[in-house]
Amino acid sequence: MESVYDISTPLIAAQHQPALLFDHLHSLDVDANAVLGARSSQHPLSPAQYLALLRQTAAHLNSPDTSFMLGQQALPGHYGAASHALLRAPTLRHALALLVAHPARLSPLLAPHFVEEAQHAVLYWTDACGAGSLRPFLVDMHMSAVAALCQWLAGSRLPWRFCFNRTPPRHTEQHQVHLGTQLHFGCQIDAMLIAPEWLDRPWAGAPRAASAAVFDGLLAQAHDEEPRQSLLGALYRYLLERVRLAPGLEQTAQHFGISPATLKRRLLAHGTHFQAELDQVRAHVALQLYQCRGHDSEQVARHLGFNDAANFRRSFKRWTGLTPSSLRDSLDPPLLA
Amino acid sequence: MPVSNRLILLAFISLSCLELLLFSSFGVLKPAEHWKPLDIAGEGGTALMATCWMAIVLGSRPAGRVTLLLALGLAAVALGAWADGLDEFFAVSSALRFDKWLESALTPLGMLLVTAGIMAWRSEQLQLSEHMQRRERLFREHRAFDRITQLADAHYLRQQMALERAAGQPGSLVLLELAGFQELQRTHGKREADRMLQAVTHQLLLNLRNHDLLCRYAGERLAVLLPGTPLLVAERVARHLQQMVGLTHFHTGDGEARPSLRMLSACAELDDEPDAVLARLNRALEGTASPASAALAT
Repeated sequence: MESVYDISTPLIAAQHQPALLFDHLHSLDVDANAVLGARSSQHPLSPAQYLALLRQTAAHLNSPDTSFMLGQQALPGHYGAASHALLRAPTLRHALALLVAHPARLSPLLAPHFVEEAQHAVLYWTDACGAGSLRPFLVDMHMSAVAALCQWLAGSRLPWRFCFNRTPPRHTEQHQVHLGTQLHFGCQIDAMLIAPEWLDRPWAGAPRAASAAVFDGLLAQAHDEEPRQSLLGALYRYLLERVRLAPGLEQTAQHFGISPATLKRRLLAHGTHFQAELDQVRAHVALQLYQCRGHDSEQVARHLGFNDAANFRRSFKRWTGLTPSSLRDSLDPPLLA
Repeated sequence: MPVSNRLILLAFISLSCLELLLFSSFGVLKPAEHWKPLDIAGEGGTALMATCWMAIVLGSRPAGRVTLLLALGLAAVALGAWADGLDEFFAVSSALRFDKWLESALTPLGMLLVTAGIMAWRSEQLQLSEHMQRRERLFREHRAFDRITQLADAHYLRQQMALERAAGQPGSLVLLELAGFQELQRTHGKREADRMLQAVTHQLLLNLRNHDLLCRYAGERLAVLLPGTPLLVAERVARHLQQMVGLTHFHTGDGEARPSLRMLSACAELDDEPDAVLARLNRALEGTASPASAALAT
C-alpha cells in the first residue's frame, strides 16, 4: 500500500505554505502574529491546522481577492525539490504531471487530477482534507496558482477555461481579472481546460527549462523528499481505476491495508463517507464521457456497469442533483466545443 | 500613538506634577472648612475634560501641525484650570502671586492655540475633500475602500454606472490594465507591485476631471467612469492616460531597478447593463494583452 496522509498528519512545514500567509498579511501591513497567533517554526502543521489559518486569514481580511492573491504566490513556491522541478519544467505537460505527482508538497489541501481527451486537456481538483465551506476559496486559490504559474513560465496568459462546481456568483470581477473571462459555473466539477496542443509547446521565455535527464533527476528527488498522497486523493485514484467494477468498502479497505471500520472512521474525520466518494468518481466519469466524448446516456450507463439507462439516469440525478439532459442544457456554451 | 504625540503627553504630565510641587512647596494648605466644593468641581472638571480632549486628539491623529496646535492649546487650558483648582487647596502668599499668573496667562493662551488649531484643521479638511473627489464622486459613504489604492471597488463602480444610465446621460467607461504586474510581483515582490499600482493610481487621479470616477475593478485592472463623455472622447482620454503612464519612471524601493510601465485599455459606451459592459471590456482587454514581455529595464 502506498503511504498516505490525512487531515491530522503533521505534514506542512511552517516555512512552506503557512509562511506565505504570514507574508501576505505583512504585505498588507497587518500584524500576522495578532491574527494567526505566534508562529512556531519547528513543528510542521497538519492540514487541519493550515485550513484553520486560511480560514482566519480570509475572515480577518474579508476581501474578495484574498484567495487569488494567495494563489498567485503559491506556485512554484519554496517547497523543496518539487518546487525546483516545477520551476524547471520544460512544458505544460511536465508541470501538470509534476503537480499531480506531488500534491503533499505543492497542494496539500486539494488533490489535482489530469485527464487528456481529444479536444481538451483537463486539470481538475477534488477535496483532499475535508475543506467544507472553505472549498470555493481553495478552488479559486489553486486555480489562480496554476494559471499564474503558467502565465509566468509561458510569458503570457494561457487560454484556460474554468469550470466551477458551484452556482454562479452575482458578480465575477475577481475571477475575470485573475483567471480570465472563460468562466463556467454550475459544472459539477472544479476543472481547468485547455486545448491539448498547449501541453507540449516549449515555454516561450524559458531559459530555465531543464533537459529531460535533469528534470527526471529533480522528479526523483521530489519523490524521495515527500512521496505521500492524501487519503482522499489516493482513494479517488483507486476508485477511478476500478470504476467499472464499483469496488466495495471492504475490498477498498483491504487495498489500503486497514480495516473497513478504520477506513470509515478516517473518511468521517474528513466529513465524507465511502459511498459519497464512489458517487463522486462515477459522476466525474459520466461527465467526462458526456462532455468530452459525446456519449449518450445508454453508452455511459453501459460503461459504468449499469443494467439499463433509466436506472443510470436515476443514479446520476442522485449524484449531481441533475438529470443528464438538464446537465447538457445547463452548460452553455457546452464544453464540447 | 506616534512618538511625538507621546512626548507631548509626557510633557503635559510632568508640567502638571510640577504645578502641584510648586503649590505644595510655596503655598500653605488651607484648612478643610475653607474649601469651596462648587469651585473645586468646576475648575477640576474643566482641567479633567480638557485633558481628555487632548488625549483623544493625540491618540487619534497622526503627528503634525494641526495635532500639535490642538494638543498644546488643550494642554494649556487644562494646566490653567489645574492651577486654578490647586488654588482652592493652597494659600499662596501675596508676595509671590504665581498662581494668578498661571491662571490668567495659560487659559487665554490655550484658547488662542486651540482656535489656530481648528483653523488649520479646516484647511486640512478642504484639501482632503479635494483629494477624495475623484475617488468618491457625488457620495461620501462610510464604505470600505481598497486597502492598497484607497479607491472604491467594482461594487461601487456598478452602482455609479447604473445611476449614470438611469439619468439617461451618454457616458463612457475605460478599463485599464497595468501590464507586467504579475511579473513585477514575481521579480520584486508583492509590496513593490502594490507600490507601483499606488503610483499609477496617483497619476491617473491627477489627470482626471473632478466629476470622473476612478475605481479599482479588481487586481491590476482599474476603471474610469467618464460621465457625459462620448466614446470618441473617452478613447482620447484613454490614449492620453496610457501615454502618460508609459512615460512615468517608477523606481523600486531599493532604487536598484526601474521596471517600465505599460497600460492596456479598452473603452465602451454605457449603453447596456453595467455587468454586460464590464464583461465586454474585460474580453476586449484579454484580446489586446499581447505576450507580456519581461519588460525590466534595470
